[in-house]
Amino acid sequence: MAPLNPYTYIQCPCSDSASLGRPSDATSPTSADGDDEDNTFDPRAPRANFSLYPLEYLLYCEDCHQIRCPRCITEEIATYFCPSCLFEVPSSNLKSEGNRCTRSCFQCPICIGPLSVTSIETPPSDPTLLAPDHAATPHSTYSLICSYCNWSSTEIGIQFDKPNSIHAQLAKIRNGGASRLTAKERKERRKELSHRGGEAAVVAASEASGGQDMDLETQFANLKLFYNSQLADPNAEDNGLSSLGDLGFSSPSSLSRIMNLYTGGKLHDPRAKSKLGAMREAITAGEGLLEPNLDESSLISQLHQSDFLDTASSTQICSQPPNLGELHLHGAARFNSSLRPVPYLLRTKRSKRCPVCRHIISKPEAKVQTTRFRIRLVAGSYIPSISIRRLNLPGPNGPAAPAILGDLLEPLKPVHFLLTFKNPIFESLKVTLGAPAKTPGRFPSKVTVLCPQFDIDANTDVWDEALKDNDRESSNRSRRRAGTESQFQVEVGKIWERGRNWVSIVVEVVPASLKLEAGQDVLKEDEDVLEIPMFVRIEWEAENGGEDAASGPGRDKEQKEKRELAYWCVLGLGRIRQG
Amino acid sequence: MSRRPPRGEYIETDTGNKVARKATLVGTQNIMLGGKTVIQPEVMIRGDLIRSIQSSSSSSSSGTPNNTAVAIGRYCFLSRASCLRPPGRLYKGAFTYMPLRMGDHVFVGPSSVIQAASIGNHVHIGARVVVGEFAIIKDYVRVLDETVIPPNMVISSFSIVAGQPARVIGEVPEGGHEAFELRDLYKTVGNNPQPAAS
Repeated sequence: MAPLNPYTYIQCPCSDSASLGRPSDATSPTSADGDDEDNTFDPRAPRANFSLYPLEYLLYCEDCHQIRCPRCITEEIATYFCPSCLFEVPSSNLKSEGNRCTRSCFQCPICIGPLSVTSIETPPSDPTLLAPDHAATPHSTYSLICSYCNWSSTEIGIQFDKPNSIHAQLAKIRNGGASRLTAKERKERRKELSHRGGEAAVVAASEASGGQDMDLETQFANLKLFYNSQLADPNAEDNGLSSLGDLGFSSPSSLSRIMNLYTGGKLHDPRAKSKLGAMREAITAGEGLLEPNLDESSLISQLHQSDFLDTASSTQICSQPPNLGELHLHGAARFNSSLRPVPYLLRTKRSKRCPVCRHIISKPEAKVQTTRFRIRLVAGSYIPSISIRRLNLPGPNGPAAPAILGDLLEPLKPVHFLLTFKNPIFESLKVTLGAPAKTPGRFPSKVTVLCPQFDIDANTDVWDEALKDNDRESSNRSRRRAGTESQFQVEVGKIWERGRNWVSIVVEVVPASLKLEAGQDVLKEDEDVLEIPMFVRIEWEAENGGEDAASGPGRDKEQKEKRELAYWCVLGLGRIRQG
Repeated sequence: MSRRPPRGEYIETDTGNKVARKATLVGTQNIMLGGKTVIQPEVMIRGDLIRSIQSSSSSSSSGTPNNTAVAIGRYCFLSRASCLRPPGRLYKGAFTYMPLRMGDHVFVGPSSVIQAASIGNHVHIGARVVVGEFAIIKDYVRVLDETVIPPNMVISSFSIVAGQPARVIGEVPEGGHEAFELRDLYKTVGNNPQPAAS
């Protein structure tokens, strides 16, 4: 069984909308029982998992005076940056280049480790002559090498001439070293051809290039060109439906232009299409037609000969970005030799907003290098933190043996846990706790919170406290140091210990016995974990400064406003021994 | 008759560093400790792997060239059996070592091997972690146990990293920044340890 360290999860009030209108009465341990199924929080409910968060994950909205969780918060992206080169990417680049790094940061397609650019030493032409060590070869080639699994881009036949802007160089090379034209180059070629030979030459050239293997980008470009030409000038002989023959008003291009004005620029308006005349689909490869190659016998024979480890796993295939340099349907990489280096996905710095009042709760600095936050309202600075420790009280037989944290709890034997509440705010806090007498679930354990209501002092400065009353501090310290835990008696209604800004109380738990009766299902996962749902209600007085506009000269003291906050939390104490 | 005070497990320096007697520090003149740093027993710091001196004019101007092998910040905590080794590579034809720089509030877990080029502030490295050569770890990073960080990897701020090879599996929440502070941990170690703050 995995050892369990005690934990505290807090439920965000966003999970049930009824909580917004629910009266936040203090529930004492006796009244909150299993009868009110709506009010008692069941941590074993399937939905509960999604609303429970540890304290570090929660934020706090100062205006709503409510905690916010990662689920209900609204996030806005402040900056995009590459996690490998830490270069900020302006958001305008994102639309054109996509959400991956376009410099030289790549991940190994096999193991997702970082790839580094290394120069390949070309062997000297004359093996009898020793080349000087530090002489750079006139044109050195570079390749990407993974430092974790030793994969090299030479395994797929790709080498580079320059060590920088690898992304651009990679777009021009296919696996195996063959070059391909990128979209920009294709456009430029087309422009050149159209300058020289006119439309017909362009079409002829695209038909000629279509004879080669057409990759995704080429096919898309050819199709787009073809459809544009169809829209502009459909074949006259196919046009049997058009009744409007006058030029100037009813030519398809002007008609489509007018229709687009009215319909807001939809390319394929059905009304415009019928007046355009019949369009035809692509016939040749130059126009973008890709005949499916359903004969995969060559691939199958290759699979027969190769090793299982030569094929790519599903995670490797999924991490590949769409490859515009390969065929469309049948280009999915099956072999390791068709995997390409994966450019890094860009990471973001996000600022978070409260969904209700739209105030910013967390705002990091826009610069990638700084780790500071402009605004950072975390729940840890507003609600008390709860830490759990097992308490060993001496039994009737003498001093108890110290228990190791994470030990299994014995069923049906009472155990005591020490909960320490630390107050982070500068006001004194009044805490009211409520826990059901029996934990929900199939094996209810008995829970008694010995002191459900107490005050915690404010989190004043250490020096102020020390200077104020020195005597009281020293006597407290001596009492705490001198006495072992056996001097403290567990009394109902009394706190265990008090400090500058913290209070610890005792919770007594009698774990349930996990014996299964006949006809009951087997123990589910984590059903032996002892979890206590607890309702925490905190009240404090906050200064209402700054909001009051009517502060006249007669007002001496600042107006104090009583504030309260209530939430459910779940304390995970430990695992119960089975059998 | 005066009694010598009993030998404690740690040597406490003026700047507050607590170095265990059983720790192995090689080449101590090349190791810089920031202050209030704890070095537990069986830790090994290789200060002898320094940058090989290049024959240039800079060495003639300064008397002793600055040969820091390992530079550690304040409030760092090096757990048992961890090892800090400067990374080395072929640079201009010769194999040389580069300095290993660590920031403040860095916790290195037991039996970890650190060969990074630089580690930022507020980094928590778990147990049995291997940080490869010339890796760069930025601020507020949590590396979980048994992670292997491959060489030359860059881990950006606020990441939670795990796996072999290491992958970013999560982000550090805004409320988790205080958990990286090691001031309290510093007080619990030493010849007069204070009890841990509960």
